[in-house]
Amino acid sequence: MIDVSGVTKSYRTQNSEVFAVDNVQFEVRSGDFVMILGRSGCGKSTLLGMLAGLIRPTAGAIRLNGQEIWTLSEADRAGCRAKEIGFVFQFSGLIPTLTALENVMLPTLFLPNGAEGRLKARALLERVRMSDRADAYPMTLSSGEMKRVAIARALINDPSLIIADEPTGDLDVDTEYEIMELFKELNNQGTTIIMVTHNPELVPYATRTYRMDRGKVNTSEPF
Amino acid sequence: MSNPPGLGFFRLVLSNITRRPQRNGATIIAFAIIAASLFSALYLTSGALQSLDAGMTRMGADILVVPEGYSAVAQTVILMGEPSSFFFNDSGFEQISKIPGVAKASPQIFIATLAGQACCSAPVQLIAIDPEHDFTVANWLKENPGVVMGKDDIIVGTMISGDIGSDLLFFGHTFHIVGRLAKTGMMGVDCAIFTRVDDAYVMADESSVKAVRKLTIPRGMVSAVLVKVDPATPPGTVATRIQAQIPGTKTITPNGLLSSVTGQLAAVTHLLYGSTLAVMILSVPLLGFISAMVANERKREVAIFRALGAKKSQVLHLMLAESFTLSVVGGLIGIAAAAVVLVSFQDFIAFSLKIPLNIPSPLTVMMNAGSALIICIGIGGIASLYPALMVNRMEPYETIRKGKP
Repeated sequence: MIDVSGVTKSYRTQNSEVFAVDNVQFEVRSGDFVMILGRSGCGKSTLLGMLAGLIRPTAGAIRLNGQEIWTLSEADRAGCRAKEIGFVFQFSGLIPTLTALENVMLPTLFLPNGAEGRLKARALLERVRMSDRADAYPMTLSSGEMKRVAIARALINDPSLIIADEPTGDLDVDTEYEIMELFKELNNQGTTIIMVTHNPELVPYATRTYRMDRGKVNTSEPF
Repeated sequence: MSNPPGLGFFRLVLSNITRRPQRNGATIIAFAIIAASLFSALYLTSGALQSLDAGMTRMGADILVVPEGYSAVAQTVILMGEPSSFFFNDSGFEQISKIPGVAKASPQIFIATLAGQACCSAPVQLIAIDPEHDFTVANWLKENPGVVMGKDDIIVGTMISGDIGSDLLFFGHTFHIVGRLAKTGMMGVDCAIFTRVDDAYVMADESSVKAVRKLTIPRGMVSAVLVKVDPATPPGTVATRIQAQIPGTKTITPNGLLSSVTGQLAAVTHLLYGSTLAVMILSVPLLGFISAMVANERKREVAIFRALGAKKSQVLHLMLAESFTLSVVGGLIGIAAAAVVLVSFQDFIAFSLKIPLNIPSPLTVMMNAGSALIICIGIGGIASLYPALMVNRMEPYETIRKGKP
């Protein structure tokens, strides 16, 4: 599914080179629920950005279903993102001028023949138990509701992978539980998930867990 | 069951516009001002030139012969309808008729009326014609075509009050309206009243007892001679011959009038184009600033689009499409508003700017509107392109993480 080898992201400062991600390598298999744990600033999100083809690594290779994504053109990388990857951001990332239903439909715009229509979006909203708020605008939704809509949006193009960046970071305990149960349900249905979080209590949901510290991923010490 | 359509590109554009009404409303107003300025300048220029063209065509004369030294006055009479009286010797008319290349010649006597006549709040130009030689007035008739002017009959310009069949009093002499001319936009025609030379002489003779001021029309004098040139001879050649053979005369051709109007128009159009240019020069950075603010405000939204799979080109199209929509809406509003004002206050504008003015042909109006709209869209595109490119070049993932929901 995903093969990460020797991936590094460094930034030059005036006097030195800072490694946000340092020579990381690991593998994600189809159907995995991979959780990457670490403190804030350890490089988790930078790693996710590189996996999604949004942050160019300084070194190393990332293969998604056998294709080295950083050898693709910008347009092909965007197409790959639209088709293969569903994103759930730390903050909901919903577009404020679109309704919940339109937000779910949004990624279909970016596929050549991806205008799947409202029925699928409505079905996804029903799947995340948000069908009664389909016509609501994001500013009228609670944090948990926005996150549900974001998850529905991540699923609209039937991606093989969902990338979730601290998806429960801004939620209360009850809502966090609901959202994690939803991810678990999706994973049980065969969706591969990579999630980064700083909350160790979420580890039981994962099928595979990596700890990240100061840019390095410890693959030898499963959680 | 059919699958209803999903979220369309234009729905996304429209929702981005309609859900931010204040900011986009201000942008639309800016575009409306630009379009209205541009359209007004183009409309007035083409309206004035087409009005002149219509007036000259209707006049049917290739050359106007006036006394030397009265060329400018005659042009003012024709173009602006400012009443004036001036004469030269009638014998000139006989000579003009015999000059090679002259097909027809028709004398006219210009008489400025007094103020406060029943028809008009200001003095108007009475033009005495010789129906036997006239080849112009009958061709301009809009109402009662084919009428033959009898004793004390007059034909009035389109802006003269009074119905056909009603009477008008000048210098104590009663005239009877028998026809009305079609609108030319040239005040000299639209505000003029045409009478017969014989009736004008009677009116002048009676004025000493019937009018508050005596009118003098010297016998054997005319104010102008309208000349129709033989088609085989260039009007310029005939004009040169007239001036050479009849001392004390000056010839005016339609081209001469056109350059006179163009000169008068130049001041107005320079002002209009100057103010339009100023509006454009100010509006491009202003709109650019608004676009930059919008782009900055929406950089997280753009980053989300990118993360969800939008190509850079799709994001660019989206932002330019929004700018295009705003410029089209603003442009159309501005053009429509300007058109309403220009048409509603056409006479007032013509009078104030001292230019002949007609409503241009529908094709010209459409071309004016199209030009104004295209320039408006171009300004919108230029103003929004750089901010759109800049926001597209930002690192999307960092932008998303720094933002709030």
